Amino acid sequence: MNEVVNLMLLDPGANIMVRNGATAEVISNPKDGVWVVVKYLSSPGDPTLEGTEDMVFAQDVVRVLETQ
Amino acid sequence: MATEIKGRFVDGLVNSKAGQVSREIFVNDEIYAQEQEQVFTRSWLYIGHESQVSKPGDYFVSCMGEESVILCRDRDSKLHVFLNSCMHRGMKVCRYDEGNTPVFTCPYHGWSYAADGKLVGVPFFKDSYHELLDKSKWGLVEVAQLATYRGSIWATWEPTAPPFIEYLGDFKMFYDLSLEAWNGTDEPLEVLGGVQKWIIPCNWKFPAENFSGDSYHNISHRSVDMVGIGPSGTGRRDMAERTYSRRLQVAFPERGHQSGVYVLPGNAPTAPSYQQSPAVAEYFREAEEKRRDSKGEWGRVTGSPGLIFPNAALHPRQPRSIAVLHPRGAHQTEMWRWYFVDAGAPYEVKNFLRQYYIRYSGPSGLTEQDDMENWNYAHAASRGAIARRHPYSYEQGLGFEQTNYEYEGLKFPGQVMDLGDARSSEQNLRNFYKRWAEFMEAPSWDELASWR
Repeated sequence: MNEVVNLMLLDPGANIMVRNGATAEVISNPKDGVWVVVKYLSSPGDPTLEGTEDMVFAQDVVRVLETQ
Repeated sequence: MATEIKGRFVDGLVNSKAGQVSREIFVNDEIYAQEQEQVFTRSWLYIGHESQVSKPGDYFVSCMGEESVILCRDRDSKLHVFLNSCMHRGMKVCRYDEGNTPVFTCPYHGWSYAADGKLVGVPFFKDSYHELLDKSKWGLVEVAQLATYRGSIWATWEPTAPPFIEYLGDFKMFYDLSLEAWNGTDEPLEVLGGVQKWIIPCNWKFPAENFSGDSYHNISHRSVDMVGIGPSGTGRRDMAERTYSRRLQVAFPERGHQSGVYVLPGNAPTAPSYQQSPAVAEYFREAEEKRRDSKGEWGRVTGSPGLIFPNAALHPRQPRSIAVLHPRGAHQTEMWRWYFVDAGAPYEVKNFLRQYYIRYSGPSGLTEQDDMENWNYAHAASRGAIARRHPYSYEQGLGFEQTNYEYEGLKFPGQVMDLGDARSSEQNLRNFYKRWAEFMEAPSWDELASWR
């Protein structure tokens, strides 16, 4: 089972993996614990998402990635 | 519904000709439910002040009648007022009093709304809704009309209500006495401290009639006057200018707004006030003189309690405050009180006023406590089967109202009671209930806007 990610701790610049295997950078966080706004870095399942912005729901955040 | 209730309120439970009002309109739960629809969904209601939402993303949670609403400023600085209820399952999308946020997120299932009300986040939008949900149709419910006037923010759910300035009519000049800077100019005001909120066990119309300009209940405040909470150390407020002013009640029968006013004689000097602090006294002396200069002859008119129908109570002078009387069932009122101060006033002035205002008004205010005690026990003693059979008397001064009233060259609009010799009148209270009864019966604004 995945570890529950606390969205309140995600600052802009953090990288995350989302449910469909895509990776994304947090660009803003409304700090509601429910959503983060991201820009997709990679999206193997749907390459058209790369570079686009989206709101990601908490239950779709799989884990936090180490930022280079 | 309109035909069923015709005659029940106008010249019925509210008998304006006789000057009597039935206790039923205060204690009857069915009438209370009707007035939520007839009065509160169709009137203009006070929401807040622009200084509370000065930046994009700022929000303040207010009320319209029983219903929670969000006043917010979107990314483009446009003001909005939304019903504070998620469109998916009704949960409040904002449970804080005020703050700044880019989105309002429902904690129940996670629907999320931008500050312009648009639905921007729906969990599982692709997987569960298959992107078929039309998000553009599920934004937050927005008021039909929103208006700002000299920093104050008003809204109505009713699209056919007249624009706010028309709703005010000639009462605007008396509302201005609550909104202008102390020197009579458009220099900005700000809310002093937070908004005080508290519950009173009485129907909302008790404070509404009181602040319409009840000129008869001074006896209730005698103990406060004896204590001397006023800013010069005597009485509950500075009374010097009032002792040589003409006292009037001004009411607008077609609108339901009314206020007390004082009119200084043309050659009257500026009365000393705020004598407990030389710096504050000097601030107000200068402001008063500028006010008399900038407003000309009308600078002689000073404010006294009034009411914008239905539930915005004005207290323009000492303290400078607006209170909203939110209905919370037939037997409870939640009172919210905003205090105002010149934004540019020195700290010493603001701090002095803060201390004076909270010892006068609000839950800690001695004067307000006097009033609440009356409303509380009047309501409780009017609920019984025997009590309900007996109307209240509002006959004081009935038939002595004047129109085209003039005092020392100042021609007043509306219907005026000169309290110079009469000392007291219940004109303003009758005016409030007359308008309330009209709202309870009128099927639409076609009938309510009788001046058109």
